[in-house]
Amino acid sequence: MGVVHGQEMVLNIGPQHPATHGVLRLQVKTDGEVISEITPYLGYLHRCFEKHCENVSYEQVIPFTDRCDYLASMTMNFGYVVAMEQLMDIKVNDRVQYIRVIMAELQRIASHLLATGVFGLDLGAFTPFLHMLRDRERIIDLFEMTCGARLLYNYMWVGGLSHDLPKGFVEETLRFLDYFEPKVDEFENLLGHNKIFVERTADIGIMPAEVAINYGVTGPNLRASGIKWDLRKDDPYSVYDRLDFDVPIGLGIKGTVGDSWDRFYVRLQEMRQSINIVRQAIDKLPKDGDVHQSMPKKIRPPKGSIYSRTESPRGDLGYYIESDGSDTPYRLKMRSPAFTALGVLNEIAGGWLMSDVLAILGSLDIVLGEIDR
Amino acid sequence: MSEDKQKLINDAVEKALAGDADAVNNIEDRVTRAKAKAALVKAQREQPKKEDSNDDASKPDEKEPPVSNNTVQKVSASLAAKFPKSLDGEQNSDWIQLKPENWFEIAKWLKDNPDFYFDSLQCNTGFDLGEGLLESRYNFHSMKHLHCVEIRIRVSAEKPDIPSVESLWRVADWFERETYDMFGINFTGHSDLRRILLPEDWEGWPLRKDYEEQETYHGIVVPKVKEGWE
Amino acid sequence: MTVDYIFDFLTSLLDGLIGSDYLLLVAMLIPCLAIFGFITVYALVVIYAELKVSSFIQDKVGPMGQGVGLHAGKWGLLQPVADALKLLLKEDIIPSSADKPLFILAPFMIFIGAFISFVAIPFGDSIIVADLNIGIFYILGVGSIAVLSLILAGWASNNKWSLYGGMRSAAQIVSYEIPAGLSLIVVIMLAGTLNMQDIIKYQAGGIFNWIIFDNPFMPVAFVVYFISAIAETNRTPFDLPESESELVAGFATEYSGMRYAFFFLSEYANMFVVSAVAAAGFLGGWHSPIVGIMDSSAWGVFWMINKTGFLIFVMIWLRWTLPRLRVDQLMNVCWKVFLPLALINIFGVAIWTVVFNS
Repeated sequence: MGVVHGQEMVLNIGPQHPATHGVLRLQVKTDGEVISEITPYLGYLHRCFEKHCENVSYEQVIPFTDRCDYLASMTMNFGYVVAMEQLMDIKVNDRVQYIRVIMAELQRIASHLLATGVFGLDLGAFTPFLHMLRDRERIIDLFEMTCGARLLYNYMWVGGLSHDLPKGFVEETLRFLDYFEPKVDEFENLLGHNKIFVERTADIGIMPAEVAINYGVTGPNLRASGIKWDLRKDDPYSVYDRLDFDVPIGLGIKGTVGDSWDRFYVRLQEMRQSINIVRQAIDKLPKDGDVHQSMPKKIRPPKGSIYSRTESPRGDLGYYIESDGSDTPYRLKMRSPAFTALGVLNEIAGGWLMSDVLAILGSLDIVLGEIDR
Repeated sequence: MSEDKQKLINDAVEKALAGDADAVNNIEDRVTRAKAKAALVKAQREQPKKEDSNDDASKPDEKEPPVSNNTVQKVSASLAAKFPKSLDGEQNSDWIQLKPENWFEIAKWLKDNPDFYFDSLQCNTGFDLGEGLLESRYNFHSMKHLHCVEIRIRVSAEKPDIPSVESLWRVADWFERETYDMFGINFTGHSDLRRILLPEDWEGWPLRKDYEEQETYHGIVVPKVKEGWE
Repeated sequence: MTVDYIFDFLTSLLDGLIGSDYLLLVAMLIPCLAIFGFITVYALVVIYAELKVSSFIQDKVGPMGQGVGLHAGKWGLLQPVADALKLLLKEDIIPSSADKPLFILAPFMIFIGAFISFVAIPFGDSIIVADLNIGIFYILGVGSIAVLSLILAGWASNNKWSLYGGMRSAAQIVSYEIPAGLSLIVVIMLAGTLNMQDIIKYQAGGIFNWIIFDNPFMPVAFVVYFISAIAETNRTPFDLPESESELVAGFATEYSGMRYAFFFLSEYANMFVVSAVAAAGFLGGWHSPIVGIMDSSAWGVFWMINKTGFLIFVMIWLRWTLPRLRVDQLMNVCWKVFLPLALINIFGVAIWTVVFNS
């Protein structure tokens, strides 16, 4: 069959665009509607995070990490705090550990709600987005009850937490979980099994497993390609080794393994697992313990370096910290999972139509604040 | 700037260099404190770096559970056997220091060797050691054997050339662009080495310790003295 | 027919004073002004309805005020008026590299296309501006003017995104007119006439005389027609030409203020036209469903507006529930599913009529 080639058109998606999850410019070369190449241009949100961290003290870095991935601030704090505690060899008590796990898992649910809602919104399904936001509001209310902030928490400090759980938090959380658990099924039916949604996402943007590993993709994107890799299970930190949960992987139910529908489905399943984890953590939460117990007066880690990874809702969050013995970091690098996820876009989105590219971008779940730092 | 303030800053910097960091941190006025910190950094750069003898016994922690001295030592030993000339100086038990010359062959061997099989490049950090030395640090991880290793390559700032490993791990494409952007390390053999986070026509390598911001950018003055910013 | 009544009335009033040509002109203008007024009021109502219905579906509150009274109280009834005022007062920006005459012409053309279909819509027993012999055919025909104007809008904006939107919408509307027209052929076959009022008179006698219940092929024809009509008016799930998340606003990206308002006014007007045709052709027009209850001529307008309004509500409901289809899937559905269905319908209805002689 002969193929007609017209002249290639170069188009810019963004930087101001309703569907690019932040300030991102994608330069696409298209032939009619078929895309031949995508080049992302980054740096619109670069705020010199790493250079700042070299001039402020270790405690003052934590609000900066909040602002990198502003949709999952708790897990950003968590990653940094785990790295620092390994560097300084601080052991925190169990109450702090369990509270941290509860907060991180609630944050994971909130982040996945937003990710799947925005994915639906990009495809034109306006309603599930608003329903998911309504449920996310309840999680944010829980956070506000604890530390007073809705989006950028500055909650986890080196050696402890900023505030203990308030009275009534546990009951509110359990009430929320009971309300929320049937909603995940509702979302699955409303959006996941909707025929139009399936047609728009199944078999689109297939990411084979080798490509994913080679491109450094981690998190739900990697799990959707069939690889069972979760840092909470394979490289446990904090108290995750005492909790019992499943790691969902993409099975190619509606199409091929590793397509956009699988990425959406893995996130849904992870929400269910997070509900499970929060319930267990609340069960095992020790009643007493001081959250400020192990906080050092002055954070001055010994000379040395560390690279530590934790699991954020977008993938492997890595912190490389080098300290020279003073109270400001000598070098702090944040390895952000969305950076590598955006890097794989050109590989998996070549040859699809324009509408598919936006569907694939939505399924990768990127946050520009984390990519540009 | 008044005489008193300058004297206050000088005193604080002296005390900080002697080891009392709180002298600078406790200055009340925000602007003066900032100036004192800047002066401290400048003074530290000019002095030879002092060894900090705070925590005598605690060594820097291991990276994470899968990494053990065993992995680093095993890899180090194999490298010494196969590429003897590329080990650079004294080896450490936590990382491997290499010379930049044969880096591509070593990387290929590390990736394909069935004992190690490092198929995932986790992170690539640039580093400024001061005194005109730059480093590029790689953290590798194997999905099959679940072990990690860190490799450091040191180059001088005048000729910062390191072979690129972009064709082996495609993630290195953007990681190396970022290291180039921030430090100026030139990765030879990279298909498209240009700035990624900063605009294409920015001058200078920001994360180096001796970085001075340029005067103007496209006619906009880049402020160096941030007085009076509220 | 309305024009006739008004002409007769005016002639009896002013006989001899002014020439009958002028009286005819006036008699034609008055209903047009009435239609214009109706469209304006209808647009306000449907915008409000869309906001409220979408709020209920999406668990929001929708337009609401803070004070007392219906307009500023809990119902926020003045919201669409505020919207209209805002659009009127906005700055009129024409991009310097746009093709000025075509850019200005496009919104006018699309509004003309929607407006002149209104003259053949039957609102009641004798309330129709022009009782054309070719009523349905005329409506389908002038509805295609919208295609021209969408292409003009996309091209004249000198913007790659608008061009995409214009091309997509042209392909979509032209393709979906075919199943729509073919589905209406079965109606014409049964009624035996193209005249709108005669088609409605054919369905007299209560709900089971409506064409949709006539034979088993009719509901299928109704569904095919309705979905094709949604595609023709560029509503979700077929709103790719104006898809918000992809092409910003598609062909209307460069338009601002009242010109933008014209595009969306004509979209709502088109919705009314296709729903009215569906109500007239399939659901009995201005007849009441039960003989004897509220079926005098005066109630005709009530029934017509209700049936049309229900179909518009279904369109709004679909918009907020379903995601949108991709361009090639859209075309797939049209050419590979609807067109064969519509053709099978025609044959089926023909054979049924011959066999059962109904």
